[in-house]
Amino acid sequence: MTTLRPGTRARTASTGAGAGTRTRTSRPLRALPSSLVLWLLALGFLIPVAWFLLSSFKPGSELFSLPLTLFPENWTVSGYTTAWNRFNFAQYFLNTSIVAVVTTVLTVLVSAMTGYALAKYQAWWLKVFFICILATTMLPTEVIMPSSFAVVRDLGLYNTLAGIIVPSIITATGIFMFRQYFKTIPDELLEAARIDGVSEFGAFWRIMLPLAKPIAVVLAIFSFQWRWNDYIWPLIVLRDPDRYTLQVALRSIVGADNVDWSVLLSASVISLVPMLILFAIFQRQILNADVNSGLKD
Amino acid sequence: MKHSVTSRTRVALALAAAALTAVSLTACSSGDAGESDEPIQFFLSGDANQGGGYAHMAEKYEEETGVKVEIVDIANDDLATKLRNAAQANDLPAIARVGAVDPVWRNVTTDLSDITEGSDIRTDLSDKDDDGNVISLPSDITAVGMFINKTLFDQAGVAYPTSEDDIWTWDEYVAAVKQVQAATGTSYGMVMDKSSHRLKALLYEFGSDYFQADDSGEFSTNDQTKVALEYFNSLNDDSFMPRSVWLSDADPNALFKSGDVVSYLSGSWQIADFAVNIADFEWASVYMPQEEERATNFGNAASVVVFDGPQEEAAHDFIKWLYEPENYTELSETSSFIPAIDGLDITYAAHADAFAIYNQDIAASPDIVGEIKAMELQYGAQGVTTDGDPVRDETVKYLNGEQDVDTTIANINALFTDQLGALE
Repeated sequence: MTTLRPGTRARTASTGAGAGTRTRTSRPLRALPSSLVLWLLALGFLIPVAWFLLSSFKPGSELFSLPLTLFPENWTVSGYTTAWNRFNFAQYFLNTSIVAVVTTVLTVLVSAMTGYALAKYQAWWLKVFFICILATTMLPTEVIMPSSFAVVRDLGLYNTLAGIIVPSIITATGIFMFRQYFKTIPDELLEAARIDGVSEFGAFWRIMLPLAKPIAVVLAIFSFQWRWNDYIWPLIVLRDPDRYTLQVALRSIVGADNVDWSVLLSASVISLVPMLILFAIFQRQILNADVNSGLKD
Repeated sequence: MKHSVTSRTRVALALAAAALTAVSLTACSSGDAGESDEPIQFFLSGDANQGGGYAHMAEKYEEETGVKVEIVDIANDDLATKLRNAAQANDLPAIARVGAVDPVWRNVTTDLSDITEGSDIRTDLSDKDDDGNVISLPSDITAVGMFINKTLFDQAGVAYPTSEDDIWTWDEYVAAVKQVQAATGTSYGMVMDKSSHRLKALLYEFGSDYFQADDSGEFSTNDQTKVALEYFNSLNDDSFMPRSVWLSDADPNALFKSGDVVSYLSGSWQIADFAVNIADFEWASVYMPQEEERATNFGNAASVVVFDGPQEEAAHDFIKWLYEPENYTELSETSSFIPAIDGLDITYAAHADAFAIYNQDIAASPDIVGEIKAMELQYGAQGVTTDGDPVRDETVKYLNGEQDVDTTIANINALFTDQLGALE
């Protein structure tokens, strides 16, 4: 805890308006190098994206011709036309959206409940259970995939969107995030609520969950991205092309020894559009979530 | 007031989530696999890239019979994984065109003998089970071939073989390409797909009998294999051949398309791609260079199988129809296939001269090419396969300087002996 020494305030005040003016005039100059570095970094990140976007407007014969050029010599939308005609994008978007949204909502709810229970209830088996959950992070997804597949198959969820959703709901990361957060909330708050006659579920739903909103938003963003980009699990669970997710459908463009790059680039751009729209709409929340996640941990 | 609104909103959100879940769980639930009234599902890879031949034939079949065949395009690298999992879930599609018959699901394939009987289908490229049943049909023939950047050859004024009478030896080929490279300032003389299928062609040309097992299952090879591998290593020098292709997966197709490579050892399936995606220079197919032997490596590009199930009969009928000479000719012309049925007269829309060269190279190849292919099919019939590709993987180690050529050959023999053993 820091204490303000006597006179500090006075000295600060005595610097007067002149100091404030200096600060105002020199701040842009001081910030210039760091701004420049950030702009250069942003440009560095932008170039591959621009290359990708502009290449989607090149004919196949221009993609690899030397010297490489950023802008297409002959602009064409043939890749987009072929991609749009070849793929049922509306169906794939719908399937992917159902998977991403439902999984995200359930992941946040289940992780919050589990994290809350692990943080606020005392029992020896809860600790064991928590260690078991943490232990699952040590196993690569590929290792548990065969057994997960067997479970999904035996539950009759093979070739269903539910087969993708159900195994993805529980994530050790989400549970851990919520547990650690709920640990920081004083137990007294919970006890006060109980004294006031709030039920156990009410205490979680009306007091704890709203307090954990920053964690919920962070996990929701992560979960949505994971599910939107997931490839291998939908690949092995889905058979019917009408239920394909976007990533599985896109990958089908890659043949044995040939890749139709022109179509692949255009289809990839189309697949990015919904994510960009989501980012544009929820930009503030996404950026706040990142800031909050850093502070709360 | 505010609290109650917030609470109601949360409850509504929760209910919406629950409803959405219920809808997704029920509406998207699977029906029984392969109901007889559903379209016949045909899993394959790269059909659209090869001109959509199967999709075209499926449309024609529906017009003729009213039976719908649904072509499902799956990435080649994932096709085996997908079928393996589908087999575990007892949910295989009706038909698949696969690189090789997987031991996991080979026991649930149907007998196609009645289709091959009395036909000219290349049954030497079919998988057969212990009872002699034909469990796969070759979809088409694939062969290794050489492409050149004709524009660079013309610029340099260097000749290339245009008939079977003036085929290059490997040394002549390398000298000619180096001449073009020097005259035109081209970065690389040659690229070659990172594949044992391509390397096999080079081995055969140098007189190798590849890797074969004796009665005890011990694999060995002849001395010419070492000569071929050493020659291949000498080409990978970062000036004639970029080492990045075999050592770090650089894309040889893209390198050749850039126009900065004089020649490309690849295969017949590239013709359709080059016809569309190369506009900056002229390319041409040329005869494979020869050494001890004149050879290409050829075989079935893929195997067509029909799976047991409620749609087995309908799928069988479609395949029988597809392999009728008239229909198969149409398929070959649409997809630019080298046909797996003998005696067909295929009229290619473009680059017929290139296909003619492949057919001549196939006809001139020594018996060992067919014998090795037959051996591989027999191992497939036994249900044994290798983990990865020992020939390719060990050669990569040799090119990378991790081991010498003798160790490379010894390792390949050991891996084959361990994983394949004797032919029954």
